[in-house]
Amino acid sequence: MTRERLRNLLPILLVVLTFTGLVLHSTGQLQPLEGLLVRVTKPLQELLSGATGQLGELAQTARDLRDLRQRNEELESENARLLLDNVRLREIQAEAALLRDLLNLKQDSPGYEVRGARVIGRVIGQDPSNLQRFVILDVGREAGLAPNMPVTTDRGLVGRVREVGAGWSRVLLIIDTKSSVNALTQSTRANGLVEGQPDGSLVMRNIPQGDVVSVGDTVFTSGLGGNFPRQLLIGQITGVERKDFELYQTATVQPTVDFDHLEVVLIITDFEPIEGTEDTDSGDGQP
Amino acid sequence: MTIYLVVPLLLVVAVLQTSLVPHFALWGVFVDLPILFVGSWGLLAGSREGLLWGFIAGVTTDALSGAPFGAATFALMAVGFLAGLGEANVSRAQFALPLVTIFLATVLYDLVFLLIVRISGQPVVWLESLLRIVLPSAALNTVLAPLIYGPMRLLHNRFIREEMEF
Repeated sequence: MTRERLRNLLPILLVVLTFTGLVLHSTGQLQPLEGLLVRVTKPLQELLSGATGQLGELAQTARDLRDLRQRNEELESENARLLLDNVRLREIQAEAALLRDLLNLKQDSPGYEVRGARVIGRVIGQDPSNLQRFVILDVGREAGLAPNMPVTTDRGLVGRVREVGAGWSRVLLIIDTKSSVNALTQSTRANGLVEGQPDGSLVMRNIPQGDVVSVGDTVFTSGLGGNFPRQLLIGQITGVERKDFELYQTATVQPTVDFDHLEVVLIITDFEPIEGTEDTDSGDGQP
Repeated sequence: MTIYLVVPLLLVVAVLQTSLVPHFALWGVFVDLPILFVGSWGLLAGSREGLLWGFIAGVTTDALSGAPFGAATFALMAVGFLAGLGEANVSRAQFALPLVTIFLATVLYDLVFLLIVRISGQPVVWLESLLRIVLPSAALNTVLAPLIYGPMRLLHNRFIREEMEF
């Protein structure tokens, strides 16, 4: 075949190659090649992420100094209020412990479910597209990670592991449009589905009309569907949309996790999603 | 330009896109370096090279992305190929053509990308994605296009008439 003929065939060849890649990816046979590319680029990604983090911290320090005085005053008044709350909550805690013993219930606290095996992963990269919300972690199969494991921080639910390589993994964030998580509100126990939006915000849908949902209420995972542990913090309700002619209400949710500055996450490795309910794209699936 | 230079260049572009670029978001979006590089080179060197640059940039981007493999590759190949159609006019419309090309290339890239994501069975919020991501992203890429197009033009002049070698 002449060189000129090869050049003429190039467009067709590239399209065929891409189609082949698409098919091989869907069957998982392309993962070794993808894993190789991630391994090759991982050191550079780690270096750049570290450098960016340090630059960000420097700029943040300057901003923090400016806001410090005002924040201090706010914190002092908040501290006084929290002291009162603390006394009240200790009373409630003691009362709850007593009632639990009386009922002989072995209820797990939210902390217990995430206390078992956990792995700390550092975010070394984000998805290259504005249309996707993934992060790449520096831990993978070697650290015991597997697809669908929930990922959290101390501030709440981050997402779940989508793909795992030997020393890396990719996490689908809950703010991605493909993510949906069964959730409930703390005070009124209203159930719904928390879904990601294109702009990176969260919306809680499918809340029954009869349920009371109020601004400021906290939203947790409900554990329904079996794909996430229950009582992982998701966010706080900032607005409620209720129309009489619709079956469900919708609420906007402010995530507690700062997804723009994710650095270190926890992967809950001792949680096993219920077999058969897995929906790799939609998280918890439908309620 | 030889493929031995293009592959590492576009690999570095993909790494920058996943590590550094997301920290500098504006209007809720960040710049798409692969689109700027592929669109600029397609415009300067023609459809054939644009297509090849799109393929290489797409494969590296797809490997680092959570999207279905092929979404970025197809989208960037389309960008490179169509940007190359403007090659004949690039010397006449020096200022406006690269800007218009990058704006349209971004819209095309995002729409092809979303289409492939949808075809692979994943949900897509079309209107909101268009209004909140695609258009701001196209505007941002257009504003920043001269920063990439300028050096790419110098690079092209250095490698002028030299087609990519395998």
